[in-house]
Amino acid sequence: MDPFALLGIERRFDVDLRAVERAHRHLSRVVHPDRQGSEPPGARAEALGRTASLNEAMRIVRDPLRRAETLLSLAGAARDGEGPMEQSFLASMLELREALEDAKDARNLSRVRALAETVLARAEATKAELTQAFRGADEKPAMLDVARARLAELRFFMRFAEEASLAEDVLSEGGGAPLEG
Amino acid sequence: MTLLEIFDPLAAPRAIGIDLGTTNSVVACVKNERPEPVADCNLEVLVPSVVSYREGGEIIVGARALAEASAFPSSTIASVKRFMGRGADDAQTKQAGPYELLAPDAGEANIVRFRVAGDRAITPVEVSADLLRALRRRAEDELGAVGGVVITVPAYFDDAQRQATKDAGRLAGLEVLRLLNEPTAAALAYGLDKKQNGHFVVFDLGGGTFDVTVLLLEDGVFQVKSTGGDSALGGDDMDHAIAEDIFRTLGWSGAPTSPATIPAAVVRLVLDEARKLKHALTTRESAGELMLDAQGGASMYELTRTRFEAFVAPLLERAGAACRRALKDSGLKASELDGIILVGGATRVPAVRAFVERLFGRAPLTDIDPDQVVALGAAIQADILASHEKRDDVLLLDVIPLSLGIEVGGGVVDKILPRNTTVPTAARATYTTQEDKQTGFVIHVVQGERELAVDCRSLATFTLKGIPPLAAGLAKLEVTFRVDENGILAVHAKELTTGVEQVVEVKPSYGLDDEAVEAMLMAALDHGEEDLLLRKLAENRVEAHRIAAATEKAVTDDAALLVGAEGERIGAALAALRAAAEGNDATAIHAAIDALDKETRAFAGRRMDRAVALAAVGKNVAEVEGSLATHDTTSH
Repeated sequence: MDPFALLGIERRFDVDLRAVERAHRHLSRVVHPDRQGSEPPGARAEALGRTASLNEAMRIVRDPLRRAETLLSLAGAARDGEGPMEQSFLASMLELREALEDAKDARNLSRVRALAETVLARAEATKAELTQAFRGADEKPAMLDVARARLAELRFFMRFAEEASLAEDVLSEGGGAPLEG
Repeated sequence: MTLLEIFDPLAAPRAIGIDLGTTNSVVACVKNERPEPVADCNLEVLVPSVVSYREGGEIIVGARALAEASAFPSSTIASVKRFMGRGADDAQTKQAGPYELLAPDAGEANIVRFRVAGDRAITPVEVSADLLRALRRRAEDELGAVGGVVITVPAYFDDAQRQATKDAGRLAGLEVLRLLNEPTAAALAYGLDKKQNGHFVVFDLGGGTFDVTVLLLEDGVFQVKSTGGDSALGGDDMDHAIAEDIFRTLGWSGAPTSPATIPAAVVRLVLDEARKLKHALTTRESAGELMLDAQGGASMYELTRTRFEAFVAPLLERAGAACRRALKDSGLKASELDGIILVGGATRVPAVRAFVERLFGRAPLTDIDPDQVVALGAAIQADILASHEKRDDVLLLDVIPLSLGIEVGGGVVDKILPRNTTVPTAARATYTTQEDKQTGFVIHVVQGERELAVDCRSLATFTLKGIPPLAAGLAKLEVTFRVDENGILAVHAKELTTGVEQVVEVKPSYGLDDEAVEAMLMAALDHGEEDLLLRKLAENRVEAHRIAAATEKAVTDDAALLVGAEGERIGAALAALRAAAEGNDATAIHAAIDALDKETRAFAGRRMDRAVALAAVGKNVAEVEGSLATHDTTSH
């Protein structure tokens, strides 16, 4: 399945998520089972399958990891396994991870948040590099190797961000406090 | 009923919406393009969700059942929604209520059964069906004939609870058009009223469940962004907290959670008084009542609003945590919200309103009656689903509230569909064998967010057998999850090297299988529901005519999209359907509809392709049809 084609959007890494959501809503109006009331009976089963695919396409495109994976596989450049990571990158992740564990043990919420922000900033930078790599791949297919390497790093960042977010939930004050801005 | 509305036996059946609540239920329908609740002859809209079973077989539902509850404590079932889809051994099941629960015998399904009216065993699904039947009759008294129904469920209901609700609808002789999430229904009622775009939060604190949903309204599409909640938190918990305090204060040993030590009738009485005190404290600073004490005398029990609010605080903490999670899942900040909608009777409690205002930093919307808003939204959706004109009105895009997955090695859950995935949806995952010569796969389907299967809700377990003995890792199992627009899951497992496959409608161990529901339906027929078969026939005929007309119109409009002998095959299926509709066999009509369904699928798909191409960007029809013609020869 090519989720980009299904949603009728351009195949690229730096998608405009609001535009994608609009396309999804727009198409849902046509293929959703609830819109088949005046159609022949076969339309319902057909609509169910198409809407499920449309929703799956939306899920893939919304998630930067799955979006990048799909772009690689559509370019025929998907590989099994993650290949070797740079030593310096692994060392810096290890450090961050230890810092997160320490912050969790110390129940230091602001430290957890600071670490999460650091990693999210790095994730954003990596996403910008992914955008460049996928753009360059039209001219230079070797850029896909770069994209694959950046994707492996992005996976680390996202996993870290998820753990930090869980830790934030645990350490956050009671449910009754006002929600932030 | 006004005098002008004379009962018309030939009136077209009207679709209705039902809010099947923990404490109260409401039935509504769309009249003159506006949703309205259906009241009884006393103009009462709320039907207490209370069913009383009497010896001799009489079943009493609603206000009278509630009023007489203390005389028949263990035969009067209130808050049955709390038991829907739950196992007999569930902690929730054992808590609260003066009921006599029958333990399942060894080898029996783990189903909750109440002992009522002396010796009758009854399941929560049957109690809900009795409630739904009473609501159906109320609607019939007002409307004549009732067509399909949309029944609302808390967004946070899991698969088992949804299945149970759908079964109850079927058992009540209703055609369930859709299970609709309560917050989405509420948003629908508000959204259509206000015609406003933006992000809204629905804060729904009902009698027994709490839901929070973040959704986006844009140009008639209601898209749920995230949902969360607690399917065991509600206004009833406030009553219980007060009741426990009454028992403590008046010297009764134990609490209402251990009814063994306090007579069931007393528990029921005290819970009723607790609820009245809660209501009184909505407008007053303190309230008191004479109560039976443990010594057999009467003592005054007084409760101030401040003290009551202290009881409520821990419940609101739980609600707050769910709101925090839902907002985070939606990716929005509180300042980006355009409105907070309050739903559920418990949101009348001043402390709840103050809490919501503090939490979100803005005053909530309260202009539609929080007890009716869900039923009104359900009526709107029922009207949309039952109407067969092409209308450019609203579309609801809802999500699954809890992740769905299967148990893999080490008891760990592999999530196949994460929470907040838009439905309908499908996803698949492949697994390999762990042991040499393994000939079967045990597939354990679970729902929840925790990492280990034991901490999640177990939905079903089934085994895929007949796989030839291969070395570990060679057999490949493909598991597909499909969730329909009601949020109900079906699981399909296939071994890829041999093609052995199995499809499972996930019927949880806590639920009733199809045969059990069928048997109950038959029993209902014996008990004065003989018109059920006739109604089914009439309904199927109407449906047959509608479908035949829609198909004919499509075939005439788009003869160019028919391929090969497709037109003749559809024509034959149409003729068969018309013939069946003339006969008296409801099942034959159903079969003819199914046959036409199969024949029209590819054709309907091509019509959809064209509509999609037209919708994509302003291409003109000729251009689109040109590209479709080439598409047809290659892929159809």
